[in-house]
Amino acid sequence: MQRGAWSPERLRAALRVYVITDQTLARGRSQAELVAQALEGGATAVQLRWKSGPLRDAVELGRVLRQLCRAAGALFIVNDRLDLALAVEADGVHLGVTDLPVAEARRLGGDDLVIGFSPETLEQAQQAEAAGADYLGVGPIYATTTKPDAGAPVGVAHVQAIVQRVHIPVVGIGGITAANAAEVIRAGAAGVAVIAAVFGAEDVRGATAALRQVVDAALGERGI
Amino acid sequence: MKHIPRFHLLSQRTLLPLATLIDLLEPLATAGVEAFHLREKDLPGGILLDLAQQCRQRLSGRAALFVNERLDVALLSQADGVQLPEQGIPVSAARQLLGPHMLIGRSVHDVGGARQAEETGADFLLFGNVYETTSKPGASGRGLAALRAVVAACHLPVIAIGGITPERVPEVLAAGAWGIAVISGVLAASDPVAAARRYHQALNEGDGRAA
Repeated sequence: MQRGAWSPERLRAALRVYVITDQTLARGRSQAELVAQALEGGATAVQLRWKSGPLRDAVELGRVLRQLCRAAGALFIVNDRLDLALAVEADGVHLGVTDLPVAEARRLGGDDLVIGFSPETLEQAQQAEAAGADYLGVGPIYATTTKPDAGAPVGVAHVQAIVQRVHIPVVGIGGITAANAAEVIRAGAAGVAVIAAVFGAEDVRGATAALRQVVDAALGERGI
Repeated sequence: MKHIPRFHLLSQRTLLPLATLIDLLEPLATAGVEAFHLREKDLPGGILLDLAQQCRQRLSGRAALFVNERLDVALLSQADGVQLPEQGIPVSAARQLLGPHMLIGRSVHDVGGARQAEETGADFLLFGNVYETTSKPGASGRGLAALRAVVAACHLPVIAIGGITPERVPEVLAAGAWGIAVISGVLAASDPVAAARRYHQALNEGDGRAA
């Protein structure tokens, strides 16, 4: 379904290299600057993940990221907080299993809102699609240090299993780098979501470009 | 003119578990609590929405429901308003999302914050801590003079919070507060409903205004 400016095709393409912000990994560098560099490097989607600190600052950063993503034609998503997403006019919101239910987010956000969901099981993936989710984030594919509560790695087989059961695009997340991104795409993912591989890098632009190249090549193998 | 409740009760699940508190909401409203704030912003959105919906149902209009910080949860649970921390979402942005009718309370700590809240469209202020309080250990009270200054600095109703006991209600009202907000004074009481009744009575007698 068309979500505002995002047709299913455009959304799928925007999920190729999905960069998630992280205040800690930014290590004092401006998060807006890091996002600008990631977009230059070829990031196709950006997620603002706000874990702590005054929400006032999140609104301020969110408004900057909104402009950066719009200028780059990238998808802009806010993690968890639908109110923050709406306040900064993000394209969408990303929800986990304990966050607002997808159907409730749809009710408040309306038809134009892109909704992403992180299922922990196959059943949750299917339920989320039925409830109106537009894409899924599946992981952790590999071991990750960014989210200590993320649980044991599920591997690319899990991506494959979910891709076969749903029609909406799936992005892999968790421990993904340029070295292992290709196998995630080969398992059927529309793209990869990364935190540390980009925000933790010294050269954010270069790290994003390297990922983008691997993802594009792997999608190319699939004729996409 | 919007009606601003005068007796606010804020949740704090470390003092009283939410399940217990939700069971007490009806008698608390009957005892005179006019506004209940679900103030558990560290809980995940799904859990918070479920709690807010339970509160809504139990209060069934007898007292106003406020959700702290989460505008999305407030909107989805059809709460009467939100309470925004001073460092939270700007009031103007909140107003845009909530529309003209929902109440927006802004927590402020000084005259500057009060003026800004008024200019950007808040409906009332929550000012504190007036006295030293166990709910925020280590924070010394800002005092009645500071409360008076905030009241004088803007036209918005000011709800005083922080260490307020029924005995202190008269002087708080005399300083110009429109009402009070209580946490431990009710939640930590051996009989929360009886404690709420004492506050309500103090508010009624307070400065002679009708509650």
